[in-house]
Amino acid sequence: MATRTDSTFDGFGRVSRTAGTIFRYLLLAATLFGLVVMTILLVYVANDAFQPLTADTGWHATFLATLLVPTLAVAAYLYRESAAALRSGAYTVGLIVVSALFSGGVGMLFVDIVAPVEWFAVVVALVAPTAAVLAVVSRDHRLSFTAQFATAVVAFYVSLFGVPGPLGTVAGLPAVVPSVLDGILYAPYALDSWLIVTLTVGGPVAFLGGRFVAGDRGERVRNLVAGGVLAGVVVAAFLGPTVGVEPMPAAVVAAVGIAPPVVYAAGVAANREQERPGVLLPVVAVAGTAAGVVLTDAFGFAGPNSWVTWAFLTNPHSRFAEQAGFYPAIGGSILLMVAVAVLAFPVGVGAAVYLEEYAPNNRFKRLVDVNISNLAGVPSVVYGLLGLGIFVTYLGQAPGTILVGGATLGLLILPIVIISAREAIRSVPDDLRDASYGMGATRWQTVKNVVLPRSFSGILTGTILALGRAIGETAPLIMIGAPNVKFAIPTGFGEAASAMPLQVYAWSSLYAGEEFYQKVVPAGVVVLVAVLLAMNSIAIVLRNKYQSQD
Amino acid sequence: MSGDDIEETLTRRTQNAPPELLSRTFFFACAALSIATTIGLVVLLTGEAAKFFTFSAPLVGVEGETASVVAFLTGTTWNVTSGEFGVLALVSSTLMVMIGSSLIALPLGLGTAIYLSEYASPRLRAILKPGLEILAGIPTVVYGFFAIIYITPALQSIIPDLGTFNLLAACIVVGIMIIPMVASISEDAMSAVPEELRQAGYGMGATKLEVSTGVVVPAALSGIFSSFILALSRAIGETMAVTIAAGSQAKFLNPFNPGSYTEGAQPMTAAMVELVGGDITGGGLAYRSVFAIGFALFVITLVMNIVSDLVAQRYREEY
Repeated sequence: MATRTDSTFDGFGRVSRTAGTIFRYLLLAATLFGLVVMTILLVYVANDAFQPLTADTGWHATFLATLLVPTLAVAAYLYRESAAALRSGAYTVGLIVVSALFSGGVGMLFVDIVAPVEWFAVVVALVAPTAAVLAVVSRDHRLSFTAQFATAVVAFYVSLFGVPGPLGTVAGLPAVVPSVLDGILYAPYALDSWLIVTLTVGGPVAFLGGRFVAGDRGERVRNLVAGGVLAGVVVAAFLGPTVGVEPMPAAVVAAVGIAPPVVYAAGVAANREQERPGVLLPVVAVAGTAAGVVLTDAFGFAGPNSWVTWAFLTNPHSRFAEQAGFYPAIGGSILLMVAVAVLAFPVGVGAAVYLEEYAPNNRFKRLVDVNISNLAGVPSVVYGLLGLGIFVTYLGQAPGTILVGGATLGLLILPIVIISAREAIRSVPDDLRDASYGMGATRWQTVKNVVLPRSFSGILTGTILALGRAIGETAPLIMIGAPNVKFAIPTGFGEAASAMPLQVYAWSSLYAGEEFYQKVVPAGVVVLVAVLLAMNSIAIVLRNKYQSQD
Repeated sequence: MSGDDIEETLTRRTQNAPPELLSRTFFFACAALSIATTIGLVVLLTGEAAKFFTFSAPLVGVEGETASVVAFLTGTTWNVTSGEFGVLALVSSTLMVMIGSSLIALPLGLGTAIYLSEYASPRLRAILKPGLEILAGIPTVVYGFFAIIYITPALQSIIPDLGTFNLLAACIVVGIMIIPMVASISEDAMSAVPEELRQAGYGMGATKLEVSTGVVVPAALSGIFSSFILALSRAIGETMAVTIAAGSQAKFLNPFNPGSYTEGAQPMTAAMVELVGGDITGGGLAYRSVFAIGFALFVITLVMNIVSDLVAQRYREEY
């Protein structure tokens, strides 16, 4: 190739490498410019938030010796032995961080937002009729669709509203049988909240964990693992009080924060022989952290004077930077994320399925195509106006509620969800569809049994990225009148709530001053960026996984 | 299943069976919602903006204060309290953010795209591309905070008379923000250039530099331009970073005078945020002025998106 030779024959085709080399490094510099600038800024803000230089030298030395050096040594060893093992190890470490963040969110949900009993009532009231309908359908496969549909409607109605329910109230009939929902809510005896968490959160984790670890070893191993996870959660709930944690948060931490990384590591160790050494990495990291904490305590080394503290995460806003906290904003963001996901996910996937699987190539489809790409380019502040004009002014919703915010942000990310879901659906090979049709499946059966399961991880990736975008948006929330500062955590979708980026904006504009700029805002930025980086990395890891499978 | 049922089951037309009909209707409704969103946007913005202007307010049955279109489009003073609605004061600073950020983002984004598509090893690309995605995933409010707390002080040590709020810092962060957009769309266009063209270039004795700049970039030019236009439209619609970094003093500045970048100003989006975030009451002239700006913003970005689409399609080299 010409680039490899300085000259071929004398006087012919003499090529200088200098220009090419300079060009190449200029391009590399251009590529790295944004990344480097952003890294420097993030280092600055992390420095302001955590203040690592205020810690004792002994504190740094201890953690260097117990955490950093051993972890790097193991990573270097794994890098030489097997890249796959290093990757699994790094995934496990990442999973520990993500699970910790997640368990914080779920714990907050159960402590302050939803009473566990209400949650339990809703879960049972939805699961029970589903199970009943499935039982009826599996008993008689040839039940007509109308009959199945009627069974489902009746089962859900009874479960949610009771007999005769609202229909009876209209007709003036007294309630005969209370709904499952009310039955649990007003039962004389309620399950302990830790038990509810163990069943409703620990149960699914245990089920999935059992499937992951057992692989194809059969049902017995699967049940053993699932039972082990559940037992671990129960033990955590009982041990919690001995270290000063209530049983319920302890169960949440065990089920959401500890179980997933442990199960993942166990699954890797059990099923993938060549990646087994990778488990060493998280073990060393966790042990190193624990040893560091114990040793710095024992020697009395003071840690850094960080602004991201437990108090910052659990206090409401305050006029004084020292006491200001992020708690209501975190709660608002969690509820907003739930609302956006519930509203945008089904609609976005539905639209993508229609465009890829159903729509004939006619004018309507082209119109929707053009329309979606244009909607993706509309500025977020204009979506805020849409929310303000339609939901607040015309539909008369209270300004700034989670419902209005969720609907506005849902519309904002809808084009992104649709575009990414279409890409995922398009990547399902046509052979699979043809095979399904060849077996006599209808279009809906093909979509349900072939297309959606095959494209699920792709759709999930796109949705997580889009949710990350929604969580970081501020302008639409300001436009719909979300309060800048909220002192109480929102407990329902009809309440006005702040959100993390909005709170950061309020601090950096309304409360602009040295105190806030140096302490609270960096701490808020660090929390916000940490949540978004966690979401983005989950999405990127998921995508790498399913792309390498294809 | 007994024998005589099978024939009936196999020959039954399922196209309009209840589950098919139900699912098809649901999917169609989801797709139609995106059209409804656009219609909602257009109707709402036009309707509210119409109430703002003197000539159109009687048409929609609104009485009371209005503003003249001519004054809106040609006035250079934006002062809501004194009733002066000259949008050029806002447009000029929006234009400045667009120009300033594109000076950063277009060359760097194009360079990134060429590097990723022509030079980077697959391994390096696997690291750089997620990195750029993360750059795009950082919330704009964080960019705004970075501008005011780190970038402005750093710039002040170079340019002493730089104000706390200035357009220069806003341009820099918006520029960094839109690099990934330019890079990813341009790179897609370059990756679509067939390998044969590059090989032909090498066969003619061209160097890699000559192939990249003389073959790949011209062949992908339509995609590159379309990425430029989309990025500019994103810069125009960018809200939080400019609201925090550029300040809230609306004034008309000459975009082509480099000196005016050291001043603070208020782009269109920032004015909308300030007006709604302040205590204006629904229904007043100030409230409607927000929709008038929003309408202008929507039209500008929509036109840019359509132009970008047209460029990408009309001038695409077919291979």
